[in-house]
Amino acid sequence: YGGLLRDILLMLNNADDYDVIIQVGKNQNIKEFRAHSNILRARSKYFKTALSENWIAKKNNLIEFKKPNISPDIFDIILKYIYTGKIRLTDESGEDILGLIVAFKEFLFNDILIYLEDCM
Amino acid sequence: MSSRKQPKGKIRPPKKPNSADAQFNDNWDRLAQAIREIHKKNASILSFEELYRNAYNMVLHKNGDKLYNGVREVITQHLEEVAVSQVVPAFPLSGASSSQTNPNGAGGANFLKVLKTVWEDHTTCMLMIRDILMYMDRVYAKTANVPLVYDLGLDLFRDTIVRSQNYPIQNHLLEVLLQQIKLERENEIIDRTNVKASIDMLLELTDASTKDTVYATDFENKFLETSSEYYRVEGQMLVGEYDAPEYMKKVDKRLNEEEQRVRHYLSQTTEPKIRNIVEEELISKHLKTVIEMENSGLIPMLRNEKMDDLGRMYKLFGRVVKGHDEMKSAISDYIRELGKAINETVTSNTTAEGGNAASGDKQTGATVAVRWVQEVLDLKDKFDKVQNLALSNDKAFQTSFNEAFEYFINKNSKSPEFISLFIDDNLKKGLKGKTEEEVDSVLDKTITLFRFIGEKDVFERYYKQHLAKRLLLGRSVSDDAERGMIGKLKVECGYQFTTKLEGMFNDMRISSDTMTDFKEYLDKSVLEKPKLDLSVTVLTSTFWPMNLSASPRCNLPPELTKACGTFQNFYLGRHSGRRLTWQSNMGTADIRGSFKARKHELNVSTYQMVILLMFNDKQDGESLSYEQIKGESDIPEADLKRNLQSLACAKYKILVKEPKGKEINPGDQFNFNNDFTAPLQRIKIQTVASKVESEGERKETREKVEEARKHQTEAAIVRIMKDRKTMEHNLLIAEVVKQLQSRFMPNPALIKKRIEALIEREYLERATGDRRVYNYLA
Repeated sequence: YGGLLRDILLMLNNADDYDVIIQVGKNQNIKEFRAHSNILRARSKYFKTALSENWIAKKNNLIEFKKPNISPDIFDIILKYIYTGKIRLTDESGEDILGLIVAFKEFLFNDILIYLEDCM
Repeated sequence: MSSRKQPKGKIRPPKKPNSADAQFNDNWDRLAQAIREIHKKNASILSFEELYRNAYNMVLHKNGDKLYNGVREVITQHLEEVAVSQVVPAFPLSGASSSQTNPNGAGGANFLKVLKTVWEDHTTCMLMIRDILMYMDRVYAKTANVPLVYDLGLDLFRDTIVRSQNYPIQNHLLEVLLQQIKLERENEIIDRTNVKASIDMLLELTDASTKDTVYATDFENKFLETSSEYYRVEGQMLVGEYDAPEYMKKVDKRLNEEEQRVRHYLSQTTEPKIRNIVEEELISKHLKTVIEMENSGLIPMLRNEKMDDLGRMYKLFGRVVKGHDEMKSAISDYIRELGKAINETVTSNTTAEGGNAASGDKQTGATVAVRWVQEVLDLKDKFDKVQNLALSNDKAFQTSFNEAFEYFINKNSKSPEFISLFIDDNLKKGLKGKTEEEVDSVLDKTITLFRFIGEKDVFERYYKQHLAKRLLLGRSVSDDAERGMIGKLKVECGYQFTTKLEGMFNDMRISSDTMTDFKEYLDKSVLEKPKLDLSVTVLTSTFWPMNLSASPRCNLPPELTKACGTFQNFYLGRHSGRRLTWQSNMGTADIRGSFKARKHELNVSTYQMVILLMFNDKQDGESLSYEQIKGESDIPEADLKRNLQSLACAKYKILVKEPKGKEINPGDQFNFNNDFTAPLQRIKIQTVASKVESEGERKETREKVEEARKHQTEAAIVRIMKDRKTMEHNLLIAEVVKQLQSRFMPNPALIKKRIEALIEREYLERATGDRRVYNYLA
């Protein structure tokens, strides 16, 4: 990643001004992601609705969102895609790509799906 | 249920549908429950993520249609409940139209308020349902080609509530809406928010078959029908109760109200429709009635110069097709009527004066003309003002007014003469005490009347006569004013019209130079100087209106004859080949008369001078008879009588007549009045002033005009034929009319006669093949 993308990714990794906590996974495989609601809303129709006034739940002034049916590994890729518009697939196994496709579908990222299906 | 996915699903085939069914049932139960919670306004307990995931799973596993139908069922069920529990109980008591049990439509208003709440709840819920079913909208609805869930909600609301098959909600709604509008029309205050909410609701719903809004299909026509009926009744009531200005104010108010109503709570598409209805019922249907209202209609408004009312009528009636036409024709008729009245006062005046016209009341004739023109000008002013202040200077009205003026002005056959006399009156020296600007503005207005004259050639003839008199008698107010007037005429009619008039001015100027030269010539000459100052004006015979070719008979005194001879020698010496004819009937003379009391300077006509000089040879008390004077002077009889009259019967009696009387008769005896006294030293014996022509003169003028027209018509025919060489009869007639109509309107019979005369004189011939075609013969 270079330039703008690197800086934006830095924003995600070192977020100290986050306002959303996303709890991803279930059972033992749970991870919390910190993110910026405005970026999520701007980049995704799903989050635009999920984080709209009608549906958000707040705790300590932070928006809490749970996504149990997706593994943290996959969500990490999705979140990076949301922030940068890019996906790295170099060392992903076939199974993970399938999981990725299903997750992208749920989030209604239709344009990236064509590319992912080509990878299979 | 959080059952884990079966690994390798094909191991136990019979179980798969069961598992999928269970999954489906679980997902659907949760969603249906959630939608119910949303309807109960309990959404805060719901998780978007979970519900979305449920719907997503159902669509992903090809259960989109079951989901979609399930949603439809849940919403329909809910709306049915709403209809029963909320809408039906809010029905206005005994029908919306009964205002007896329902004062001010309170029941109706409440009904609308309930509907507003129901509608708002529905849309709020549908937005949330749309959120959780986003995946279904995106993926299923698109491929299955069914409406998006929000639109599905609208359709269900339309069919379950607004057009419910089970309850008369639609009837109540429409009746209440129409009733509320009716109440507002009757100046009740209604709660527009509730009405607007229902209207907006109807606007959001779509009729399935027409694809138009439910507002358009269910409401608008009923609204327009009732409005039509309402204003039909109101229109009849208003024309019966109010006068025209009040009526128009009411209509204005209604139009305004309806426009406001549309702006506030109806659809903009209704605006032109309701406007048309009000215009039709309140304007079109009562146009004539309002225009013709006694004491307050269009004519009284004009009579009393009610500019505001007229302006309102113009604006209001302009909204409908026939409105302005009706106004125009009513005003035009009125102008014609007023014009006819003006014409009638003039004819009644002239006939009344007919009796004593011969007795020589010379001023009255001109006064009639001046008054006629002034009255026409006043009328023109009045309608110019109306045009300007009330009719936005509408060109169409101007044209129709002009036609009306043209009509009645040309009804008065004397109008060309009258207008010329009016101009004469204004251009005469020191008569009015008006400034040059004032005179100029009057003349400008007069030009507008001149435009209306059909027979401009007749006007030209009179104008020349009057101008000639002003110039020769030195009565013109100023050269500038005269030239200004000619300039105006030139603008109207082109230079051909004014070349002769300008020629008359040139003659005056050249004559004045000639006289200076003549004086110098006399000073240098060794000849015996004349015993009198001679001033000669040389007129070019073709420019001037009088018949200058024939010299009127008159025996001039020898001194004068001699002076004339001297001038003639001088003049012809400079301009060989010209012929001078003395017009003794048009000259004036200053003579000194010695009376018993004192000497007076008398300014008289040449004829009067000739008559007076005869008395020089007579002893005191010696008289001359009419026959003696006539024989010795050889002055034409009519002129002689008129001149004797002004010497013996008018204000200054230089001669005494026996027997006394106003008329000159053969056998009368005349004496020099030695006892004559007058306060002024210099006396002007009244010369004949411009006046309306007598019948005989008019006939003569008419004949001259007809003669001139023959020439002009022939000239036009020849001009056209020379250009075209060959032409069909009707086309030639049309072309001749076109060329001549700026001067007069030639009738086809006249043109035909002229064509025949030209054929006879071999300017034209009939074509050999077709007798309707003429050829030009070079």
